[in-house]
Amino acid sequence: MIPSALQPDARPNPLGLAIEALTPAWQTYICHACGYLYDEALGDPDSGLPPGTRFADIPDDWACPLCGVTKSDFSPYTAPSPEHVRRPLSQPSAPQGLARRGDAGIVIVGAGKAGWQLAETLRQHDADLPITLVSACAGDRYDKPLLSVALARHLPPEGLVKESGPDAARRLNLRLLPHTHAVRICAETQQLRTTRGNLRYRQLVLAHGAEAALPAGLAPGLCWRINHLAAYQRLRQALGESPRDVLVLGAGLIGCELANDLALGGHRVRLLDTASEPLARWQTQAAGAQLLAAWQGLPITFEGGQTVASVTRSAASGRYHVHTAGGQHHEVDQVVVAAGLHTPGRLARSAGLQWRDGIAVDPATLATSQPGIHALGDCITVEGAASRYIEPIARQVSTLAAALLGQAAMPYEARPALVRVKTSSLPLTLH
Amino acid sequence: MNPADLPPEVRAGDLLAATRALAQGPLREQVQAIDREGLYPRALLQALAAAGAMSAHLDSEQGPGDYALAIQAMAEVSRVCGATGFMMWCQAVAGLYLQQSGQPALSGEVLAAHVSGERLGGTALSNPMKSFAQIESLLLKATPVPGGYRVSGTLPWVSNLGPDHYCGAIAAVQTEDAAAAPHEIMFLLRCDAPGVTLRECPSFSGMEGTATYALRVKDLFVGESELMADPARPFIARIRAAFVMLQCGMAVGITQGAIDSMWEVEPQLGHVNQYLEDRPDALQAELDGLSQRVMQLARTPYDTDKDFFIDVLDARAHGAELCLRAAQSALMHQGARGYLMSSEVQRRVRESHFVAIVTPAIKHLRKEIARLSAEELPA
Repeated sequence: MIPSALQPDARPNPLGLAIEALTPAWQTYICHACGYLYDEALGDPDSGLPPGTRFADIPDDWACPLCGVTKSDFSPYTAPSPEHVRRPLSQPSAPQGLARRGDAGIVIVGAGKAGWQLAETLRQHDADLPITLVSACAGDRYDKPLLSVALARHLPPEGLVKESGPDAARRLNLRLLPHTHAVRICAETQQLRTTRGNLRYRQLVLAHGAEAALPAGLAPGLCWRINHLAAYQRLRQALGESPRDVLVLGAGLIGCELANDLALGGHRVRLLDTASEPLARWQTQAAGAQLLAAWQGLPITFEGGQTVASVTRSAASGRYHVHTAGGQHHEVDQVVVAAGLHTPGRLARSAGLQWRDGIAVDPATLATSQPGIHALGDCITVEGAASRYIEPIARQVSTLAAALLGQAAMPYEARPALVRVKTSSLPLTLH
Repeated sequence: MNPADLPPEVRAGDLLAATRALAQGPLREQVQAIDREGLYPRALLQALAAAGAMSAHLDSEQGPGDYALAIQAMAEVSRVCGATGFMMWCQAVAGLYLQQSGQPALSGEVLAAHVSGERLGGTALSNPMKSFAQIESLLLKATPVPGGYRVSGTLPWVSNLGPDHYCGAIAAVQTEDAAAAPHEIMFLLRCDAPGVTLRECPSFSGMEGTATYALRVKDLFVGESELMADPARPFIARIRAAFVMLQCGMAVGITQGAIDSMWEVEPQLGHVNQYLEDRPDALQAELDGLSQRVMQLARTPYDTDKDFFIDVLDARAHGAELCLRAAQSALMHQGARGYLMSSEVQRRVRESHFVAIVTPAIKHLRKEIARLSAEELPA
């Protein structure tokens, strides 16, 4: 109990209130170099600034008491509310029923079709197995082949997401690390180093896929490659709602689908390839000729035998200038490159994995050359051959799940792919 | 016999032996005073310079620089005193700037005096490195004037400075044109130049003997002969891997010192220490793996490939993480005796914290790796 004589006088002091009403509230200033807060109410008595010294009244030779910079490196500061500060931390990136440190269980790198489907299958067989999924992107589930179709149908980008990453993680009771880059594998200590800390794995599965290749000499900041949802979303934003001139470089499967769907979406498309016709890989089946015939009513101009020498962007107009080796010049609104895929090798190299144009795996178990490390999807090769289609993924998942769960082996068989060209003007099935 | 005539492996062995002798002898005697009283070990740094311990990475008449050797020398010293190891890094990167500048006024006599240890210096690139990684903005501003630039601003916490020292610094060039591409200059900032003042810093948890000051710069004239790079960005792109890589010497040395302390008590305390995680044999295996990786990276310090730089950043991050774990575990292993203020074990805990927070800190390294790993697409 505080004696009543010592209790603060609760009665309002009229003079004090009047002065307070006339004086602007005390302001706080933050030092940009070290984060020190100068509170006008408190001053900086150690440096001779009594409480109540306005920032404006501080002499110019005053220095930040922590780091020594001057007044000019300070700016006004308003403390954010505690709820505001804490909100980002309550994002559902936290582990679901799993210890943050220590055992991360089965760690899967890559949250594409292969990664998610493997997680799904493992969970069906084992309700308690700890699973950690590391994804460089948001980890949302979507069907990649629909990216191109969505261009034709003007589908809103968010409409492509079948299930958000956090929702899928909750449903499968796994730990999803979104926007996290896998940096290095330390095979000796069974750790995966990531940009959000290190994971100790029981088994590691690489399902990070392949990247869109960019021909030498072309700047990544000037050419779109549409190999994931985020890139698609940004291209859609860049195209806007009105018809544009788009140059598509590469008339393979992806390039033709993109050209087709961009044209159906109302854009004027110029499609270039080094080969003399589109889909040149399937020349014996006359795929290119059929496609060109079907495209006659669409704003697509195909030019074969073309190599792009340079792509530049005009600072004034924001448009792109494409020069070909043959001396042609095209001015367009966007440049999309579909020149094939290549597998990034840094993770595999860090663990010394055998490499044959991709991560070499044993088809019996999808094991890599290093114990405890497996791989599936677009990043693997069997006998040096990659198979970057959807169909093999389900069969690879069965093989790998059996191996990881210690069930009877279900060897994976690499088969020639049946390719369905989703060019809606002329759906083709190629062998 | 002239040392220059010796085969490189003999020279390297001699250099490491001389460095070890200085570290285990005079440095060990001063380490308490450096840590507790803020003693700046000037004579010792000059002796290390004379032994070639802070210039092994520089090209010389005897041949191209040897980064692996420079890192090993730094590790030998850091094993005894992390603060002195850090100052070796300061001196080593200042030498790197002088040599790589290709500026005759800097790469001649100035560099020679630097290599010999006659002159000492540091680096004020913490703020610019964070600025290029989009973590904070540049604190020094330059205005073009006839014959050079005028520079003003204040940098917090620059180490290995003194009234007659210098450091490499970067300033943002101010222009009227808001749309102009960013332009920075890098220059040699001499502490005794008109317009430059050093200010004492408050006490730090460790690193008290590192002669760390706030640098206040007012209307400093930077002429042609002081310019290391204009523009600075291509220069930084060329030396950034070397800059980060050299710091691994501190992490490796402090970790090794911590492991030494664990072994020291093994005969008496092994029976209880067996219950701890991060035992010395496991830490040593991890450290050896990391050292080997760093030695490999040190063969190509000027590789500008993005994947190579990510590897360097990750090795540096691994070093900091291992250093934290080892220093912490050494304290667990030594118990109360390691907690005495006179014990190197508790000092090393504070040194390991420094390795984890000095630019580039663990969080900066991860952010930069994430930035470099992200696919670049049109804006």
